[in-house]
Amino acid sequence: MRRRSALLWAAALGALLLPLAVDSPYVLHIAIVTGIYIVLVQSLNLVLGYCGLLSLASPAFFGVGAYVATLLALRQGWDSTATLAMAMLAGIFSALVVGFPSLRVSRHSFVIVTLSATLLLQLVALNWEEMTRGSLGLANIPAPRLFGMTVRTRIEWYYLSAAAAAIAVFCTWLLVSSRFGRAMIATRDDEQLALACGIDVFRTRLVAFCLSGGLAAVAGSLYAHFISYIDPGVFGFSVSETLLIMVILGGSGTLWGPVAGAVVFTALPEMLRLTPEIRSLLYGVILLSLVLYRPRRLFP
Amino acid sequence: MATDPVFLAQLAANGFSVGLGYALAAVGLALIFGILGQVNFAHGELYMLGAFLLFWAMKQLGLPYGIAAVLMAALMAGFGALLAHVVIVPNLDRGFESVVLGTLAVGIILQNAVRLGFGATPLDVASPLESQAFEIGGVLLFGQRMLVCATFLAAFSGLYAFLRYSEIGRAMRAMAQNREACVMVGIDVRRVTRWTGALAAALTGLAGVVISPLFDLYPNMGTEVVIKSFAVVIIGGMGNIWGAAIAGVALGLAESYAGGLGNAAIRDGIAFIVMIAMLLARPQGLFGRTVRV
Repeated sequence: MRRRSALLWAAALGALLLPLAVDSPYVLHIAIVTGIYIVLVQSLNLVLGYCGLLSLASPAFFGVGAYVATLLALRQGWDSTATLAMAMLAGIFSALVVGFPSLRVSRHSFVIVTLSATLLLQLVALNWEEMTRGSLGLANIPAPRLFGMTVRTRIEWYYLSAAAAAIAVFCTWLLVSSRFGRAMIATRDDEQLALACGIDVFRTRLVAFCLSGGLAAVAGSLYAHFISYIDPGVFGFSVSETLLIMVILGGSGTLWGPVAGAVVFTALPEMLRLTPEIRSLLYGVILLSLVLYRPRRLFP
Repeated sequence: MATDPVFLAQLAANGFSVGLGYALAAVGLALIFGILGQVNFAHGELYMLGAFLLFWAMKQLGLPYGIAAVLMAALMAGFGALLAHVVIVPNLDRGFESVVLGTLAVGIILQNAVRLGFGATPLDVASPLESQAFEIGGVLLFGQRMLVCATFLAAFSGLYAFLRYSEIGRAMRAMAQNREACVMVGIDVRRVTRWTGALAAALTGLAGVVISPLFDLYPNMGTEVVIKSFAVVIIGGMGNIWGAAIAGVALGLAESYAGGLGNAAIRDGIAFIVMIAMLLARPQGLFGRTVRV
């Protein structure tokens, strides 16, 4: 345990000093994307890891966050603190719309509805051209201004993204070590027993799903502001597969496992310089092998 | 214009033929769910694979449409049996999430393998019936659409006969009712699983063969099919084959009228909205989960 916390402190210190040690914009870029992925991965971890619910809607909420923040910033000229908050609310609200009907019924319908929601939102972003400019995408998304400070340079972005990742991990820790978090874990481990103990299983799952939607939307809005261009590809279903691998291979239902998964699986494809097709193909093979040979790893 | 009876009849004809296509595309999903209790997330990719195999057989091997279609159905059946053997059989006793993730992985592999093999540019596959159309009382009927309807009829009556009279079909229905009891009376559950996979993949591939000449071919063409299929299966009752047929037609008609009389943007959302409404009002679907014939 002590060795582990020493390792964590070392990693945190390394993350803090990274921009001083490396000067390459490319490495910083990857580090920033990793930070955003850590937020996203914790959002999936809340649902998959701690509630045992397989959700394929993370890209949906990520995309909702990205589009809501972008449209408010571009069309209404809103301040980024406000767009970030609105993106989060939009994520929570869409999770409510998706989760309320599907979680009541069965876990089968939950998976199906979450996937359909992702695919549908992508279709809407593609076809609602007056609003989203379809496949042309939206460009020139302004740099965010948070608490009176404009985040412009790569180093500033790095610290913003690292802070977001740290807050996401901290909030996850707060949540899962709370009474509500124990209720989440109880519904995962034994639904009947949880019910018998007076836990409202449906409500617990719905609240966790909404929180996860909000977190994913925050990641989406950060992504939009950072890349400064989005198109319907942000709903890309392939994101889901990457996330699943990060969470499952890292260790779903643990606090730090998915973080390690996010770091490794953002950096690795970059280091190996894989084309997107080969990378997705490999991820598919990894996911299939996990299911076939390490089934216990899927759900803790 | 909107109240012109010929126009309304045209919308009905379009919706009906599109709806039968939805039913045909969804029946493989309903079959796997009804008999095995598993959700196949590679369903859209099976459809895509059917279309691309057809393209390959016609362009590379130079086969005519009819022969290519039969060859393709056989190949797809083999692939379905393999999929069931590799992904579903080992996971029959585990949580359904294992099969979901496994089939999802297979779908991703297929999509990217096809993208590497054929490229991402949309392709076109020609069918001899594509340019044919005839008119009845001012209503245009298109040849390829009629082929979809005919294939639907043939596939569903074939499926009915298979499930009703063949030994494997009876075993499938038994498995839909109670898998443990099947094991006790000596039914080889794994063999039935492979057969189910083969049948479902062949039907889904067949849907790809008859429907894809109407559209472009591209590696993630399965996406739209899979949303519609999920909606059809949830609306009709998960695993209910006849429910899927009725829900498919209903969805096709609803979309056709929404697109013709309303707005094309609404059309894409209808499947999802009806699915959500159905989950709220009647979660077991219109007809419940049964594989009875």
